[in-house]
Amino acid sequence: MSQVNGAGSPRLIDVQDVTRVFHVGGEEVRALRGVSFGISRGEWVAIIGQSGSGKSTLMNVLGCLDTPSSGRYMLNNKDVSHMTDDELAVVRNEEIGFIFQTFQLLPKETALSNVELPLVYRGMRAKERRERARAALAKVHLEHRMHHRPNELSGGQRQRVAIARALVAEPSMLLADEPTGNLDSATGEEIVRLFEELHRAGNTLVLVTHEPKLAARCPRAIRLSDGEIVADGPGRQVALGDLHAPPAQAAGGS
Amino acid sequence: MSKAVRVDVMEGARIAFFSLGANRMRTVLTTVGIGIGVATLLAIIGIIQGLNASFDKQLASLGSNTLQVSKFPWVIKGDWWMYRNRKNFTLPQVEQIRAQAPFIAAISPIVGRNGDVGFNGQQLSTVDVFGVTQEYFAIGSWQVMSGRSLTDADNAVTRPVAVIGATVAEGLFPGINPLGRSIRIDGRPFQVVGTLARKGKLLERDQDLAVMVPFKTFYSTFGKGRPFSISMAVDQGQDIRKAEEQLVGIVRRVRGTPPGAPDDFSINRPEQLAQTYEQLTGALYGVALGVGFITMLVGGIGIMNIMLVSVRERTREIGIRRALGARKRTIVVQFLMEASAVSAVGGLLGTIVGLGTAKVVSLITPLAADVQAGTIMGGVGFAALVGLLFGIWPAARAANLDPVEALRYE
Ligand SMILES: Nc1ncnc2c1ncn2[C@@H]1O[C@H](COP(=O)(O)OP(=O)(O)O)[C@@H](O)[C@H]1O
Ligand SMILES: [Mg+2]
Repeated sequence: MSQVNGAGSPRLIDVQDVTRVFHVGGEEVRALRGVSFGISRGEWVAIIGQSGSGKSTLMNVLGCLDTPSSGRYMLNNKDVSHMTDDELAVVRNEEIGFIFQTFQLLPKETALSNVELPLVYRGMRAKERRERARAALAKVHLEHRMHHRPNELSGGQRQRVAIARALVAEPSMLLADEPTGNLDSATGEEIVRLFEELHRAGNTLVLVTHEPKLAARCPRAIRLSDGEIVADGPGRQVALGDLHAPPAQAAGGS
Repeated sequence: MSKAVRVDVMEGARIAFFSLGANRMRTVLTTVGIGIGVATLLAIIGIIQGLNASFDKQLASLGSNTLQVSKFPWVIKGDWWMYRNRKNFTLPQVEQIRAQAPFIAAISPIVGRNGDVGFNGQQLSTVDVFGVTQEYFAIGSWQVMSGRSLTDADNAVTRPVAVIGATVAEGLFPGINPLGRSIRIDGRPFQVVGTLARKGKLLERDQDLAVMVPFKTFYSTFGKGRPFSISMAVDQGQDIRKAEEQLVGIVRRVRGTPPGAPDDFSINRPEQLAQTYEQLTGALYGVALGVGFITMLVGGIGIMNIMLVSVRERTREIGIRRALGARKRTIVVQFLMEASAVSAVGGLLGTIVGLGTAKVVSLITPLAADVQAGTIMGGVGFAALVGLLFGIWPAARAANLDPVEALRYE
């Protein structure tokens, strides 16, 4: 298993032999068949694979929306594999920033209110909440749209609101499931640039995508097939099969 | 307040408030359902409370310190014939009772009949004609409006004079001074010497449709053989129940009732009417509560339905909130608050409609509605409670949604 950062820093994520089995009408669907890997702070990792390979399932487990059927998942030195529902809610609030393909904004609330939401559940007072939400919207260059509702924003703007919401509570990592899937290529490119910015700023990013080109721009990629990890290495190499790829770190900056 | 509780309550309240405005149609429907329940309940309670208040007033008009000793009880239980065979009271017995009961402030025999009272071609029927002595006016709390009351002299020489009630005065003498005029009671002439102040109704009977004549005149005019009762007022500050107990012994002695035999007379108190009245309205209350319970049940099921729809509509929202860190309890509180807020609004509207109905009823019927402040608070609070109860299941369903499924919901 690769470990990009130095051996000294503890891993943010440590997944050991995790499985996830669904029971559908008496039949077993083994969505994850024993995956093991680690992710360190500051990494940007793409998870790729064909449709049905288990990417979303893995993403849900990493995001503590779902728990493994077996195996162990350590997040920020906490074993979250056997936590109660309420404990998981707290972990989601403190450690994870979700970015979804369909944005998942509350349609009747303004951009600002949407971004405030994680802080609401953290119990922060309204004034501080609003300030932080404003700052997060500034990071995604949307200060001028903060009083708009989602239906008054373009797709790219909506996704940037979602990214601000993921950032606002300063989580340990950002989890993005096909964040450009619902965007045209130009807008998608904007969002990828934003990810690159966030990566340079030191955020830990996990990006689920089925687009090899996008994965190739990540320093590291993990390929899933049929619920198993079949490749783990520099993004270009794993995504494009390009064994002569330049070191992944260099790809990010251009 | 702990931080977690603050989050639950503040955010729950905010969302509940927000969603009331955002789903107006739904809010209106829920509100109407619960409002009808509260309105029905309040209208009925208002009318009953009105009845109670007017009954209390009526009872007070009888005087709280009065007793009546009679062959017949006011509230007849069992066989009327049993009472009929009792011996009549006699006038000497009245004096003996007065002599033996030091706590009596005033005492008067009273005899009555229903009669037609006429003047100058005008006629009133079913007028209460009472034969009483001078003391009776104090016992019955009758105030003389004009002229004079009856005197012992009137009684002693059986003068054909009458003191008339307010309804009789207004009915027979519109714009005329009745004093000195001659009226006919069942064809017999009586001279009006006084008029009485209005006392109002007692159990729907107009107390002022009455004429008082001297006790002895009554007998000499309308014939003997009719049994009379004895009305009395006990001293102020005297415990009426103790007085009643003592009176039983005195009356038994005066009438020569053999020891061990049951009382051959009845002692009547206004309070006994109250007991009968309470039995009557108790049944009414029961019916009202039953009706209210059923309407609230219907309203509650309406709320439950609408909340279930709301949960379904907002499945994604629930998923989003859960992903961002909302705990199950937070979601439960959110939906419970919404359900009880909607219901409370319904309760408030229902209260207004219910009070309005009671008011209208009191305007167009003789029933006097009277709603107390506590009832209004109760209406709103009860509605909120119903919302809370019927919100439990939808709220639990919302909280138990799988966040992954909820986020995928279209
Ligand atoms: N809730 C579920 N119930 C049953 N089967 C599921 C469920 N979620 C995912 N699966 C199955 O698990 C496998 C992996 O799915 P998923 O993780 O969504 O793949 P991907 O995101 O890579 O397309 C698929 O065969 C899918 O049908
Ligand atoms: Mg998927």
